[in-house]
Amino acid sequence: MKSVEDWYRHDRMPHIFCTGCGNGTVINCTLEAVMQMGWDIDNTIFISGIGCSSRSPGYITTDSLHTTHGRALAFATGVKLAKPEFDVVVFTGDGDLSAIGGNHFIHACRRNINMTVICMNNMIYGMTGGQGSPCTPAGAISTTTPYGATEPVFDLARLAEASGANYSARWTAYHVKELTKAIKVGMEIPGFSFIEAMTQCPTSYGRRNKLRTTTSMLEYMRDNAVLLNKAKRMEAEGRELSPGRFTVGEFVKRFRPALGVVKDEE
Amino acid sequence: MKLVIDQNLCKGCNLCTMVCPYNIFQEGSELNKKGVVVPELDRPERCTNCRLASLYQRRLCGVCQLICPDQAIKWIEEEPYESMKVVIEY
Amino acid sequence: MQGNIACAEGALAAGCSFFGGYPITPSTEVAEHMARILPKKGGTFIQMEDELASISSIIGASWAGARSMTATSGPGFSLMMENIGYAVMTETPIVIVNIQRGGPSTGQPTMGAQGDMMQCRFGSHGDYSTIALVPSTVQEMFDLTAKAFNLADRFRCPVFLMSDEIIGHMREKVTIPEEVDIIRRRPLKEGKLPFEPEDDMIPGFPEFGKGYRVHVTGLTHDERGYPEATNCELHSELVTRLVNKIESKRHEIADYDIINPQAEIVFITYGPPGRAVRQLMHDYSDLEIGHLNLRIVWPFPEKVLKEFPNASKFIVPELNMGQMAREIQRHTSIEVESLPKIGGEMHTPDELFRAMGGDS
Repeated sequence: MKSVEDWYRHDRMPHIFCTGCGNGTVINCTLEAVMQMGWDIDNTIFISGIGCSSRSPGYITTDSLHTTHGRALAFATGVKLAKPEFDVVVFTGDGDLSAIGGNHFIHACRRNINMTVICMNNMIYGMTGGQGSPCTPAGAISTTTPYGATEPVFDLARLAEASGANYSARWTAYHVKELTKAIKVGMEIPGFSFIEAMTQCPTSYGRRNKLRTTTSMLEYMRDNAVLLNKAKRMEAEGRELSPGRFTVGEFVKRFRPALGVVKDEE
Repeated sequence: MKLVIDQNLCKGCNLCTMVCPYNIFQEGSELNKKGVVVPELDRPERCTNCRLASLYQRRLCGVCQLICPDQAIKWIEEEPYESMKVVIEY
Repeated sequence: MQGNIACAEGALAAGCSFFGGYPITPSTEVAEHMARILPKKGGTFIQMEDELASISSIIGASWAGARSMTATSGPGFSLMMENIGYAVMTETPIVIVNIQRGGPSTGQPTMGAQGDMMQCRFGSHGDYSTIALVPSTVQEMFDLTAKAFNLADRFRCPVFLMSDEIIGHMREKVTIPEEVDIIRRRPLKEGKLPFEPEDDMIPGFPEFGKGYRVHVTGLTHDERGYPEATNCELHSELVTRLVNKIESKRHEIADYDIINPQAEIVFITYGPPGRAVRQLMHDYSDLEIGHLNLRIVWPFPEKVLKEFPNASKFIVPELNMGQMAREIQRHTSIEVESLPKIGGEMHTPDELFRAMGGDS
């Protein structure tokens, strides 16, 4: 029987992630989805940029490209267009994707290039020690927002939708089953699939924001996640989402013409 | 099938204690060789997957394995029963 | 044929199947021509959102097995610097065409210059070595582009075609050979680790999708490709190899013309100034004028300076403030006179003549 175990580079384990880091969970969910898709190890390419999340491909025993900060999507575009038969998955983080790589992100969405992008949004720059990112919620303390973040955040899933991606969803590291399913649906859909996985960073985010333990961070995500349908209902009733809460669910699923799709030979 | 936590991989985040519907995982109390307090298993034979995975030929539940950030939770085939060697000292 | 078109044709002849670009004067014609021809030949042309993305995409395509290239000019070249370092570290064969223009900054988009010669050698951070080819005719634009792909595949490094607006927009007669030598990258041998060098210090190429399951990272990595960023010895070994795999072969790959080696006064040129020297020699055919025209500038083949035993002075006309003159002086005790010219115009033969001490 094929097992997820075949996909890990066991000689590199345990990985560098801190205790309780959500990235490992997202790797699990991704590989679970890959298993369900029945992809071939030698035909799957994992690509990442720089940051904690981007170290993930190093633990997966496929061909993988650990690139420069923010450019993962551009590298992935090259790989995919040179060999469209590859199954390409991009791991990225919130800083990597939305700050330094924001331009590549919206353009990859616009091109609707056939790949799956999984963004581990931990709301912080973890690798460099906890600086504020474009996804740090208002009021949160980071080393570069010592008096609380004041800038509005990026809603990445919505951004992907608006930029033209065929699939966009958001779940958290708590919702493992839903996340796995969303990743699988994303992999099935031709075109650009974006899955934002909110993850916990107890070391750099939780520690400074009264969420000291991993479990408390996960509880925070569980309690503040609002299903998209519920949010829509609330909106219809004229109730607003209280600050700090965020929506989860499937934002868009459509079948616009996409780039880099291999037509099935019949 | 038998539920195990890999002592080399576990970093002691206790997420498994939070998600298991049977509360099989309990916060541990002792440091292991690596200095990690690995959760302890409370009657792991209650785990659905332990009991039924071989029957259904797929993984059941498995939330602990999915959420474990350190890939430390797995099920292993139980070794066939071996009679214990008893050495009697006179 | 226009220089830029010759460049694109050279790439196509060499089997380039992926072009990622971004429009920038004066290199745009390369991208335009590729956009026209590549899809018909089964290749991929993509216009990326910026130069950061275009170089990223060609590195990705190269790992997927394609011969890939991009073309740009000064400002775009500056943006590419980080990923040039990445290509060096990960030993990715790519070809970067830089149709140089006047800088710094936006400078003179429609005027030629050679101001990026040091940038292509030292532009990215850290120690490394690169290969840079400089054409001085449109024919060379074709030939050297094709050659650049072979060098990139052989040495597994980024190779630069450092042309300029003058050659890029020049129209000359070009003879396109029926067949161009294509020497493809050597695949990884069985039993070797993905980054384990062979005797020539260059590892075989573990192309994606062939079952090598290689992890490619810009971090300092061991022979398996795994990051080992805090291992001092490993880093020193790796970077030394990356430099030496090219530097140790600099005389073997050197490509130059020598004219009148017995002369006392020798012009050393690369790119357009060589044309002025050739005109000067034509105008003053009674004078003994030595000429060394380099087609591969980096790595600099310093032994070639010994080919001029009677030389009392090297004159180096360049379309910059004397970037290579300094490099040449480093290797010789003979006087080196820099003849800089910036502003976008070429040296005239008269200017060269005056530099020789002549009265015109």
